[in-house]
Amino acid sequence: MVAPAPIVEMKNIGKRFGGIHAVENVSVELRPGEVVGVLGHNGAGKSCLMKILSGAMNRTDGTIMVNGEEVALANPIEARHCGIETIYQSLALADHLDAPANLFLGRELKTRFGTLDDKRMEMEARQALRQLNPNFKNITDTVLNMSGGQRQVIAIARAIYFNARVVIMDEPTAALGPSETAMVAELIEKLREQGIGIFLISHDLNDVFDLCDRVMVMKNGQNVGTHAIDEVTKDDLLNLIILGKLPDNWSPRNLVAS
Amino acid sequence: MSGERISTCSDAEVKGRFARLWSHMNGDERKDVVQKFAAVFSLMALIVVFSVTSDAFFSVGNAMTVSLQTTSIALLGIGVTVVILTGGIDLSVGSVLALSGTVAGLLVKDGWPIWAAMSMGVLTGMVCGCINGFVVTRLRLAPFIATLGMMLIARGLALQLTGAAPVSQLGEAFGVLGNGSLFRTLSVGANGLPKVIFPGIPYPVLIMIVMAIIVAFILRRLAIGRHIYAVGSNEQASRLAGVNVNSTKMFAYATSGFMAGICGIVLMSRLVTAQPNEGIMYELDAIAAAVIGGTSLMGGVGTISGTMIGAFVISILRNGLNMNGVSSFIQQIIIGCVIIGAVYIDHLRNRR
Repeated sequence: MVAPAPIVEMKNIGKRFGGIHAVENVSVELRPGEVVGVLGHNGAGKSCLMKILSGAMNRTDGTIMVNGEEVALANPIEARHCGIETIYQSLALADHLDAPANLFLGRELKTRFGTLDDKRMEMEARQALRQLNPNFKNITDTVLNMSGGQRQVIAIARAIYFNARVVIMDEPTAALGPSETAMVAELIEKLREQGIGIFLISHDLNDVFDLCDRVMVMKNGQNVGTHAIDEVTKDDLLNLIILGKLPDNWSPRNLVAS
Repeated sequence: MSGERISTCSDAEVKGRFARLWSHMNGDERKDVVQKFAAVFSLMALIVVFSVTSDAFFSVGNAMTVSLQTTSIALLGIGVTVVILTGGIDLSVGSVLALSGTVAGLLVKDGWPIWAAMSMGVLTGMVCGCINGFVVTRLRLAPFIATLGMMLIARGLALQLTGAAPVSQLGEAFGVLGNGSLFRTLSVGANGLPKVIFPGIPYPVLIMIVMAIIVAFILRRLAIGRHIYAVGSNEQASRLAGVNVNSTKMFAYATSGFMAGICGIVLMSRLVTAQPNEGIMYELDAIAAAVIGGTSLMGGVGTISGTMIGAFVISILRNGLNMNGVSSFIQQIIIGCVIIGAVYIDHLRNRR
């Protein structure tokens, strides 16, 4: 089978703060419907790399191609225009607004008089949220009163509603209980079915093995290895995360098994 | 439900309808209703108590006085509410109103037409607000410090420009905005003196109502209003969602300055004198009105209608206590207690 063309290609990305290399010469690509795990210690540069892709931070070196075209990604709005949406760890939601207001924050639907079209926003939000979670009730409650899982659904719905092609998820399950974690896993599966590519930053190796197709491990700002998930074991990944390399006698797991 | 329909229903029907309406609301909407009615109820209670304790309180004349007294608190309070919603604070409004009023007064003295001088006064207020916004968003100073600085600068400027003396003899036309009323009807009595048939709606009250409606509309129906709530609720999230946080804050401080400018010209027009010492401590009344009306100093929560109720609570309290001969010292103590009590109740409600 011919692999589909990548949606995102990041080539030789670098980010320097003065003399310090936060990210150095990192290349990675993402295909439609693919989930790529981004692993590494705190400070390994994974969040920095993802901020570069989401437009929240500017790179000092390298090129980024989206659908084969080179893009600057100077700010989050430009990244969005390229179909790149980010779901932040802190779940960038405004607590005192309700679900529709949060979903459309910064991109409000307006009537022809230029006023807010709350009716349509509520209707659209209801539809988008029900698609992800049929049990979603009280969408006009302030987000403050919602559970971590419901907040996650709003954040993901926001990405899907605006036709994201690429979703960056930063620790989406870190603050959730087991049942809500399972729900997020289901959501990721739905995104994948729609052909959306996902970068998943995670510290939880179980999540990574459950959800990802490929993993990329970063250490000291560098990419120390990109592997298909079925060719590595947990120990291999821990080796990469901690030591930055695989054992000398390493061979892909799937080859060993067969 | 229209008032007419209520009157055609029996008591039980009304109760049933209310129960149904209530059951359709979610937790937040219910809290909101309770909060709104609590504020309105305490306002009613104040009116009832003062009507009983003082003969002069419940009269058309006094209602007019109270409304006029409310205008300056409300005009400033509306602007300050917008700033507080973004999570900021504006301490400069009392001084800015003095600067705006004196600028208008001095320009009239200088031979400018009244309307142009007054427009310049309002513009002065707006410029002060924009400077506040600039210091907060670009120089990244805490709103408390930025507006504290402006409070001193504007007051100093007003005193310097006038040599600390009131600017008087501005002509009768200067006083129309503050002292005139709409639909005022007089008839000439048998003794040849005019008799007031309908006192009319004073222009300041009219301006207060119109401004309240405009700002409430902006907050509820326009994207910039939604962004004001969002920025106060979670600034980081708003920025990441693509909201222009700086211009949102700029808008809020400019609105507050604009409202202080309006308040300045209305107040000076009422006195027919431009007083550089007018409006000292008014910023605290304005903030108190917002807070009594349920605006959270943390940002993201509050309404213009709440602030209006808060402004009326303060001015009715003052007026009623005056009518009952309570000394101004005791009045301060009572209003202080009311502020603490109101915020504590709000705090309890949110902690539930």
